[in-house]
Amino acid sequence: MANFEPILLRNRGVTGSTSLKVYESRGGYRAVRKALKMTPDEVVEEVKKANLRGRGGAGFPAGMKWSFLPKDRTRTLLCVNADESEPPTFCNRVLMETDPHQLIEGTIIAAYATKSQIAYIYMRVEFHEQFHIVQRAIDEAYAAGYLGTKIFGTDYSLECYVHRGAGAYVCGEETGLIESLEGKRGWPRIKPPFPAVEGLFRRPTVVNNVETLSCVPHIIERGAAWFTGIGPPHSTGPKLFCISGPVKKPGCYESPMTISVRDLLEREDMGGGMLPGKRAKAVLPGGASMGIISANEFDMKMDFEDPRKFGLLGLGTAAAVVIDDSIDMRVVLRNMARFYGTESCGQCTQCREGTAWMHKMATRIAMGAGRVEDLDVMLQTARNMGMMPGLSICGLPDGATYPIETIIKKFRGELESAIRAQPAGRAKRVLSVLN
Amino acid sequence: MAQPAGERLLKLSRSVKRAMSWQTINRNLPVMDPKAPPVLTEAVREKIRGFFPRYETKRAVLLPALHIVQDALGHISWKAMAEIAALLEIQPSDVIDTISFYTHFWTHSKGKKVIVACRSVSCEVMGGVAVLEELKKRLGIDEHETTADGAYSLVTEECLAGCDHAPCVIINEKLHKRVRAEDVVKLLADHANARLEIPRSDLFDAPAKTAADPASQNSQAEDLVGTTSDVREMRES
Amino acid sequence: MPKITIDNKEIECRAGVPVLQAALEAGWDVPHYCYHPGLSIVASCRLCLMEMMMPNPKTQELSWSPKLVPSCQTPVKDGLICRFGSDTVKHNQRVCMEFFLLNHPLDCPVCDQAGECYLQDYSYKFGNPTSRMVDQKLKNPKKDIGPRTLLYQDRCVMCSRCVRVTDEVSGTFELGIVNRGSRCEIDAFPGKPLDNPLQGNVVDVCPVGAMLDKDFLFKRRVWELRSTSSVCPKCATGCAIHVDHADNKVYRLKPRFNPKVNTWWMCDEGRFGFKYVHDKKRIVKPIVRRGMDHESPDWADVPDIVRFRFSELVKRDGAAKVAAVLSPFLSCEEAWLLCKFIRSLAPTAALVTGLIPYSGEDRKFPIGSNNGTTKFTILKEKCPNRRGIETILKAFGGTTLTFDEFCKKATTGEFSAAWITGGYPEPWVEKETAKIAEKIEFLVVQDIFENELCTGAGMIFPSCGWAEREGSFMNAAGVLQSFERAIAPPDGAKQDGQYLYDIAGYSGLYRATRIRELMSAEVPAMKELYVPPEMPAHAH
Ligand SMILES: Cc1cc2nc3c(=O)[nH]c(=O)nc-3n(C[C@H](O)[C@H](O)[C@H](O)COP(=O)(O)O)c2cc1C
Ligand code: SF4
Ligand code: SF4
Ligand code: FES
Ligand code: FES
Repeated sequence: MANFEPILLRNRGVTGSTSLKVYESRGGYRAVRKALKMTPDEVVEEVKKANLRGRGGAGFPAGMKWSFLPKDRTRTLLCVNADESEPPTFCNRVLMETDPHQLIEGTIIAAYATKSQIAYIYMRVEFHEQFHIVQRAIDEAYAAGYLGTKIFGTDYSLECYVHRGAGAYVCGEETGLIESLEGKRGWPRIKPPFPAVEGLFRRPTVVNNVETLSCVPHIIERGAAWFTGIGPPHSTGPKLFCISGPVKKPGCYESPMTISVRDLLEREDMGGGMLPGKRAKAVLPGGASMGIISANEFDMKMDFEDPRKFGLLGLGTAAAVVIDDSIDMRVVLRNMARFYGTESCGQCTQCREGTAWMHKMATRIAMGAGRVEDLDVMLQTARNMGMMPGLSICGLPDGATYPIETIIKKFRGELESAIRAQPAGRAKRVLSVLN
Repeated sequence: MAQPAGERLLKLSRSVKRAMSWQTINRNLPVMDPKAPPVLTEAVREKIRGFFPRYETKRAVLLPALHIVQDALGHISWKAMAEIAALLEIQPSDVIDTISFYTHFWTHSKGKKVIVACRSVSCEVMGGVAVLEELKKRLGIDEHETTADGAYSLVTEECLAGCDHAPCVIINEKLHKRVRAEDVVKLLADHANARLEIPRSDLFDAPAKTAADPASQNSQAEDLVGTTSDVREMRES
Repeated sequence: MPKITIDNKEIECRAGVPVLQAALEAGWDVPHYCYHPGLSIVASCRLCLMEMMMPNPKTQELSWSPKLVPSCQTPVKDGLICRFGSDTVKHNQRVCMEFFLLNHPLDCPVCDQAGECYLQDYSYKFGNPTSRMVDQKLKNPKKDIGPRTLLYQDRCVMCSRCVRVTDEVSGTFELGIVNRGSRCEIDAFPGKPLDNPLQGNVVDVCPVGAMLDKDFLFKRRVWELRSTSSVCPKCATGCAIHVDHADNKVYRLKPRFNPKVNTWWMCDEGRFGFKYVHDKKRIVKPIVRRGMDHESPDWADVPDIVRFRFSELVKRDGAAKVAAVLSPFLSCEEAWLLCKFIRSLAPTAALVTGLIPYSGEDRKFPIGSNNGTTKFTILKEKCPNRRGIETILKAFGGTTLTFDEFCKKATTGEFSAAWITGGYPEPWVEKETAKIAEKIEFLVVQDIFENELCTGAGMIFPSCGWAEREGSFMNAAGVLQSFERAIAPPDGAKQDGQYLYDIAGYSGLYRATRIRELMSAEVPAMKELYVPPEMPAHAH
C-alpha cells in the first residue's frame, strides 16, 4: 500500500485546482450529473451501502443519518460542518483550499439525496483565505447553473450559503452549530429531538463534515463496492490523516484506514520521521479529544475500532500531533485542560465546572506548584464529568476526559517526579497566596 | 517553563482579587446617549439586510450582522448592539448574549491590527510560547491588551487549524505560518502583514476601518462585560 | 394513566409529564435545578439524571442502560422502568453538588435565601461534607439588575430559570446569559434592566440566593416567617398566594400553585401591594356619631346599637328605605352575613354591588400572546370578589342595584338608612358620591381608611386588611378560593367577619368554614370551593 493513489486530494498540487474549469477538466461534476439522474433514495442507498462513516469525529454512517429524515417532510436543510476547531486538525482546511468544488459537488449530491432546499456551509471565522476560496467557487457554480434554481437543467433547486462562525469550538457540535446558525449562542441542544427530525429553524436538518461530503461524489461516480474495497470493513474509504509537531513533513495525507500511528509518523510519503535531534515521546493520535498514546503504543491502527483498545475515545479526526521528549508533560496537560476549560459552553454543570477546575489544577501543576494528590483529584474530576455517557448534553466533556485521563495514567511517573522535584513547600506557599 | 511562574501567579492573584472584589454593576443606567446619532451607516444596514433572504428568521442574520458591524467599526459598542437589535427585531439582551459567547466579537475597541496567536497543542509543542513572549516584548503589551498607539492588539486563541505550519499567528485576516521568535520583529515591521493576498469575494469584504465610535459614558459597565477572550482572568494561562 | 416503575415501586402517574415530575409527585426527592413545570425544558443542570431500563438493540432484552438520562427530559411512558437509588445516580448527584459549590462564596450567613435554599438543602442531602478544591475561586460581581431585584452572581447555579421566565412568561426578554463556560453570567443590557410587571417571579424561581428581592432584602430570616395560604386581593385574577409573616407583620407575598388561576406566577402589583395593611392611618375602632359628638363604643354594645338604629328607621320609613352596599373587597362570607342582617331587619332592603375599581386595560403575558398562548393575565378590574358579591346578591334576590344606580337613588333621598362597605386600598369616594352622605339619615361606613363619607356617617366600622381576615373570593373566571387569616387585626379592631357575625345575631367565634356551610345551603354556587393540589413536597 506504499503508494496509494489519492482520491480526495487528487487535485492537490494541480495548478488552478480551486477553479471550476480545472476541476471539471479533471472529471469534476460528473458524479453530480449521474446522481441527479438517480432518485434521491437511490443516492441514499448507495451511500449507505458504501458504509461512509462520518469524518467529523463521531463516525456515524452518513447514509444512515440521511435515512432518519422523516418521510413526510416538506423542507429539509443541509449544514456542512466546516468549523474544524479540534486541535490539531486541519484536513477540512486542506480540502477547502485545494478542492472547493469537490466539496460543493458533494454538497449538491447530499442535498439532492436529502431533498434539501438550502445548504449552509458553517465555516469557522479564522478561515479567511479558505472562505474566499470557497465563496468564489460557489459563485462560479452559481454562474454555471450548478447551484441556484433548476440546477443542471433539472427541476431540482438548491441554494448554498457560507455562514461564518465566530470563534467557538462547541459550534462544531451539530446542534451547537444549528443554534449558532440561528444567531444564538452555540449552546448544544438536548436530544431528542435529533436534528434529522427537528433541527435548524425546526426543520429536518442534516449536518455533515466537509470530508464526509467530499467522499460522496466518488462513491456515486465509482460505486459503493469500489468504496468499501478500500480499507478494513468497518472503516471503509479513503481518509485524510493530519500530522503535526516536530516531524520532518507535517501535513495532511490520504490513505485507507490501514495505517498505524508509526506509519503516519515515519513513512517517507507521510510524516517522514522526527526532526533531527527530536525523539517522539507521545502522540495525540486523533485530535485532542481522543487521548494520548505513549511511544510504545505507536502500532495502534488508525481506524474506527482500534483506538478503543488503547484507552482512547475513538479515531476522532485522525489528526495526530507528536510530542517530543523535550516537552514537559505538565505543559501538555495544561494545554489540554485549558482548551476544554475555555471552550466549554457552560450549559451543563459537570462540563462547565469540571473543565474549569481541571484547568485551574493543571495550570498550577504546570507552574510548578502542584501536589501529587492533585493528579488524583484531576483523574476523578475527569471521570466524574465525562466517562459515563449521558452526563452532559454534548460530547465535549468526554473529549475533555480522555486526554486528561490518558496523560495522567500513561505518564504518571513523569508527572509525579516533576512534582516531587519542586522546591519543598512551594505548592503550600502558592496555595496560601491564592486563598 | 515552570520556573518564574510562582511570582507571576502571586502578582496575578493579587490583581485579580483587587479587580473583582464586590463590584456592583448597575444595569438600571443606560450606557449610551439615546440622542447620539446612530453608529450604523445606511450602507452597513443595507449590507445586513442583504442577508435576510438567506435565512428563515431575522435573528439568524445576527452573526453576519455582527461580522459586518465589527468590520466597519472595529468593535461592537453598546450602541451598535442596540441598533442591530432594532434592525433584526430582537432584544439588545439577545445581542449581548450572543456576542459574549464568541471570542471573535469585541465589545471594546481594539487596535487596527489584531494579532491572534495560537496557543493550542501543536503550536505550543513547536515553540508558540516563545513567539507569544516575543510578541509581548516587542509590542510592550500583555495578552488581551492594545498598544498605546492603537496599532496592535494581542490575543491568544485555541487551534487555528493551521497546525501543519505551527506555530501560527493570524494578523487580522492573514495567517502567518511557522513563525519563529526571531521572525517577530520583521513580521511586525511589514506593512502588508495583515493583507490577504488572494482575490476576495465581495461578501464580508471589510471596508477600510473607520475611527472607532466615541467611548460610551458608563465606562464601568463597559469594563465589566467582555467577550470571553477579554475576561481578565484568562491572562492567567 | 401510565404506570411506571421507579426504584422497584410501581406508580401510576399523569400522562404527558416528565419522569421527574411523576417522581416528585409520588414523593421522591429528586434533586433538580433547571426543571420547572412552568418553563421549557433545557436539561442543563444534569442533577436529575436517572438510570433507565432499555432494550438491547440486538437481543431486545431489557437491561440497565449504561447511559444516565435526564429524568426531566424523559416523558413517562407506560412500562418505563427507572431508578434513582442506584450508586451511579447518587454518585452523579454528589459530583454535581461538589461542582456547584466550587466557586460559591459560601456566604450563607448573610444570604436572604438561607433556610429555603436548594443549594443548602441539596448539599446537605446529596453532597459531600468537604471540598477538595484548593485553588482560587472565581469571583463574580453583584449586579443591580433592576429596580426591584439584585443579582448576586457568585451564588448562581446557572439553571437559566430566570432567563426563561423573562422569555417565556413575561415575554420581555430582559435577561440573558453572557460569556461562556465557567464565566457564564446572567445579565441584562445596560439601560434595559429587569423591569416588568411579572419580574418578581424571577426571584421565586431562582432555586438559590442569586436573585433577591430588594423589598425583602435583609428584612428577616426566612425560618422565622410563617406562611399562610391566601388569595391576592389586588385584581380579579385572584392569584393564590402565600402570605409570609412574623410578629403580626406581613413581610412578603409569594405565589402559590393554582393550575386554574395563576399557575406558578403572580404579578408585582399584587406582590408588593400588601403595604397598606400596615398603614398607620387605618381606622382601628368602631365610632358612633351623634351630632357633633363621637365616641368609641365597646365592641360588645355594637350589635345592639346597630340593630336599634336600623329597626327604628325601618319602622318609621319602611324596609324599602334601607340599603346595603357590598364592596367587592368583602369576602363572600362577610357579604352574606351583611345581607342576612339587613334583610332580616328590612326584608325589602336594596342590596347594592359596591364600586368596581378599574385601572388601565387587561394585560396579557407573555407580551404579545393571544388567547391560546397567554400564561398570565393582570386584569383591569382591581378587586378580588366582584363575581362573588354578584352571585350572592342574585341568590338573595329582591331589589339589587349597581353602585351607580344606588348613588343616583340616594341623591334623591330614596334611602334613609344605608350600610356602605369599602376596604379599598386606595381612596375611592369621589366628590359626587360623598354628597349622598347628607341624604341618608343613618349611614354606616365600614372601611379601612377614613373616607369622605365618614363625616356624615352615624357609625364607622374599621375594615381589616385581607391578611387579617378569613373567607373566600370568587375571581373573574368564577373560581372560588378560600384565604386564611395570616395576622391579627391591629389593637382595638376586630375582623369584619366577626362583628358582622355578631351583628347578624350569631354568637361565638366567627369561622369562615362554618358560614360557608350555611351560605352554600342557600347559594349553591358557593359550594364549590376550589382547593388547588399541593405542590409536591420536594418540587420547587
Ligand atoms: C464538542 C464537539 C465539537 C465538534 N466539532 C466538530 C468540528 O469542528 N467539525 C466537525 O466536522 N464535527 C465536529 N463535531 C462532530 C459533530 O457533532 C458531528 O458529529 C459531525 O459534524 C457530523 O458529521 P459527520 O457525520 O459527517 O462526521 C464535534 C462534536 C463535538 C461533541
Ligand atoms: S457538555 Fe459542555 S460543551 Fe456540551 S453542552 Fe454541556 S456544557 Fe456545553
Ligand atoms: S440567577 Fe438563579 S434562576 Fe437565574 S440562572 Fe442563576 S440560579 Fe438560576
Ligand atoms: S495548534 Fe496552533 S494552529 Fe492548530
Ligand atoms: S437536568 Fe433535569 S432538572 Fe436540570
